[in-house]
Amino acid sequence: MTNELTTWLDTLLAELDGIEVRRTSRRRLRVEVASDALPALLELLRGRASFVHLSAISCVDWIDAGQFELVYHCWSYEIQSLVSVHTRIPREPGVYISVYDIYTPAAFFERDIHEMFGVWFEGSPDLSRFILTEWDGPPPMRKDFDSEAWVNQHFGWQDYHPDWLKDLEARGGGIAVPPNEQRFSRRTVDET
Amino acid sequence: MTHIDQVPTPGAPLPVEIGVKAGAARTNPFARVFDELVRFAQSRSLFMLHYCTGCGAVELPPAMTSRFDMERLGIQPMVSPRQADILLITGYVSVKTLKRVILTYEQMNSPKYVIGICSCTVNGGMYWQSYATAKKLNDYMPVDIYIAGCMPRPEAVIEGLRGLIENIRTGRADAWKDYYRRYDYYLGNQQRLFGADWQTSTDVIAEARHYDLFGPATLGAHTALLEQHQRPLEALEMRIEIPELMRRRSRSDQDGTAQ
Ligand code: SF4
Repeated sequence: MTNELTTWLDTLLAELDGIEVRRTSRRRLRVEVASDALPALLELLRGRASFVHLSAISCVDWIDAGQFELVYHCWSYEIQSLVSVHTRIPREPGVYISVYDIYTPAAFFERDIHEMFGVWFEGSPDLSRFILTEWDGPPPMRKDFDSEAWVNQHFGWQDYHPDWLKDLEARGGGIAVPPNEQRFSRRTVDET
Repeated sequence: MTHIDQVPTPGAPLPVEIGVKAGAARTNPFARVFDELVRFAQSRSLFMLHYCTGCGAVELPPAMTSRFDMERLGIQPMVSPRQADILLITGYVSVKTLKRVILTYEQMNSPKYVIGICSCTVNGGMYWQSYATAKKLNDYMPVDIYIAGCMPRPEAVIEGLRGLIENIRTGRADAWKDYYRRYDYYLGNQQRLFGADWQTSTDVIAEARHYDLFGPATLGAHTALLEQHQRPLEALEMRIEIPELMRRRSRSDQDGTAQ
């Protein structure tokens, strides 16, 4: 039964146009699909091929290509294997369609991706703030977000340079990176 | 939430005055004896609220239990901030957690002491570049003792606690007074993260007056901003609505009238 289903799935996926399938290991299948065909494929996987568990949606920011890659990880308890469905959407305007109607847990993953990458999922039930309730900056997981600059704008640094360390340094020892060359401890001091 | 540009930048921190001035004039010779006694007692019965924010908390169980045994120093865990003396921050503090830490800190009764365990509380530690974690804990509340390390061993934790005990006994552990004396500075740093409408449920300025610690740096640009956005604090209405209790009470009322 299990084998039958696997064979059936392989055949089916091979038959479909416009998708690229690669079996990366015995239990993993990597599928690349155009963004407009993805919901249909998920529906097929869930409805016909026992992939009832959407374990995560992940997002990759390909900033040079101007694209977001969305990866839907679907698990089947029956064939004990994972299908990761990859799709790419344009980075601007970063809008995609929700798969909440196919997999309910997608609501959480989409909300998370919306918060971290700013992708808007049409039809997702709730895209309000999720984990970063105190956040007012740009979506922080985008590649163009400069975390270090943000940190330097919002936080101060402790200068730790006690006398015993100075003594050590006078004798040629001390910590490996001199404090004024450390990226973090003096950067703000240098710039002002 | 307001943007950071709307919050004035807090000035450079004033030098912290720690400890009683040597030879501070005391008119009553016995007052000092009594003070010393009180401080000794305080240093030997400390209740600790450990706010286990980060991974450094892992070293606390061995420090507390029979291997290193904090209790032989007179330090016991306490469950509520109202009854605790020490606030122990064990590890990185995310911005979200920081809000709760400040609320907890303000709820504690004075004198209160803050210990920052782990490098993350000192300078962000390995999360120095992270947008989500606060870097210097003493920007947001006065810290008595830092125990650096990633993570510090229980020996170091015990050593730090002994340092605090010693500071309390000799009257040098009064960082908490700084929160009242320079409330504007701390509030300013908090507002930079949480926005101009940040408000806690504690009236720190009134407390500063109560403890006689109201000083020139208590108020400033940031407390003015707070006043602008402040919603008045109201006591919560007390109401008991347990259906079973109400039913029983109304039944006994009826019985009472029947007799
Ligand atoms: S200093 Fe190290 S052990 Fe402590 S909270 Fe930071 S990362 Fe964790």
